[in-house]
Amino acid sequence: MTLEANGDGIAIMDHQARLRWFARDVLPHEPDLRKWLRGRVRGLASLDVDEVVQDAYARLWAGDPESILNVRAYLFVTARHIVGEQLRRSRIVAIDLVADLETLNIVDEEIGVHRRLSGQEELARLHAILETLPPKCRQAFELKKFHDLSQRQIAEHMGIAESTVEKHLAKALRLVADGMKQAPEGAQNGRRRERRFWKWG
Amino acid sequence: MEDGVSAGSGNGAEVESQAATWAVRVAERALAPSEQARLDAWLAADPRHLGALVRAQSLWLDVDRVVALGSGTAREMPPTGGIRRSWRPYAMAASLALALFGTTWGYQHLAGRISTERGEVRRFALADGSVMTLNGDSVVQVRYEDDRRHIILRRGEASFDVAHNKERPFVVTADGLDVRAVGTEFVVGINAGGVEVTVEEGVVAVGGKAGGAVPARYLRRNEQFVAAETGPRKAVLDEADVERRNAWRKGLLVFDGQQLGAAAAEVNRYSDRRIVIEDPTLARAEFMGIFKLGDARAFADAAAEAFNGEVVERGNELVIARRQNSPSH
Repeated sequence: MTLEANGDGIAIMDHQARLRWFARDVLPHEPDLRKWLRGRVRGLASLDVDEVVQDAYARLWAGDPESILNVRAYLFVTARHIVGEQLRRSRIVAIDLVADLETLNIVDEEIGVHRRLSGQEELARLHAILETLPPKCRQAFELKKFHDLSQRQIAEHMGIAESTVEKHLAKALRLVADGMKQAPEGAQNGRRRERRFWKWG
Repeated sequence: MEDGVSAGSGNGAEVESQAATWAVRVAERALAPSEQARLDAWLAADPRHLGALVRAQSLWLDVDRVVALGSGTAREMPPTGGIRRSWRPYAMAASLALALFGTTWGYQHLAGRISTERGEVRRFALADGSVMTLNGDSVVQVRYEDDRRHIILRRGEASFDVAHNKERPFVVTADGLDVRAVGTEFVVGINAGGVEVTVEEGVVAVGGKAGGAVPARYLRRNEQFVAAETGPRKAVLDEADVERRNAWRKGLLVFDGQQLGAAAAEVNRYSDRRIVIEDPTLARAEFMGIFKLGDARAFADAAAEAFNGEVVERGNELVIARRQNSPSH
């Protein structure tokens, strides 16, 4: 565990390690969570799925990763609570819907299914998303992530300002992040027939 | 329906753009003080912003892992001349992230004092690698000295996962009681009944301060010691009970056959709305359920439903009562 002290002998837990945990154990469930939320909150136009996910992540982040035994269930339950809170706050929703959200039947058939992507599938998905990026945006991203260049080096290489590089990278990250919101559609090369098994994405 | 329902700014997508910019910047370089201040302000403006940032940061980091999966396979884009592959600056990125969050939390760490609000559970890493999780409405003072790591629990409850170091014992003092560990996991809490120490792993020594009334005792895994005013006592808990009692660390309260009254008292620790049960037979009824910390309403509703009761709001209180079989009904 990498830690750094401040004057009071207190440091913050290794942030990178927690981010990696988050990437490994939480993010893979996001497509299913979104799908489930969209189904749950159908007709409630004012509920923003992005916001519910952000809220759920903030709460999950505040918790203790090691003590959450089933991240997937925990994530869904947290999201359900958030929707419930928002509905209650709105005070205009049918009582039975709220009551439904209140119940904590953690074991939900929709929640149960999850298949982790293989490394090759993950790689293929990333490349598929990169295909959709605007050219400069993609170039900056590849120089950063495939060639480990600093923003300054990318700026020199592409002949653009560093601040522009940052804009390209931020846009690339956002588009990659958007691409991961959905399960890949049976996705890459010849796997279409297996799409039933691409449940999580 | 259009307004007010989302209880947010309704701009989740916009927030994601901002989060992406911060994630890219923080991974690249140290923030200038003015940037840090803007980031702090942005994070403070809405709790969701942290969630968006965590999402963006972890994705950005995870791309490295995915890219590494493909290393060895041919890349279409040739590396440019003169540019060599630098080793991944994880260590630097980590220290930047520390700076980022360190500043955000720094204000509360004055003189080693750390506190949590009611209903708030936070996890802290201590400089030696130990991890402290602070329950709601709790206060500790961290005093690390050369020859010992000293934590003073002023109020509430804290759990510790102690990094092993024989040379520098880890001592938690609560209400005059010293709990001493070398490398172990344990929980110390101050409540109405006295000071409670529960050991999850390893061994701790419990004793009063020098010359105090309580002689040193050793506690092992799943043992609990209570320094009550009526005298000290020791109990052996079963593992499930220890786990249940410490569910607060994951933001949950778990009840598995506890009496409703005790369960309500537990819920009340995390909520501004208080659960009240006036009917003594109801308070003794056994209850099961899992609740998010602070969700007193959900608890009250579930308890009422379980016992065919009802919830009556009385100011800031939620009174759970059995349904009245009044003659008029």
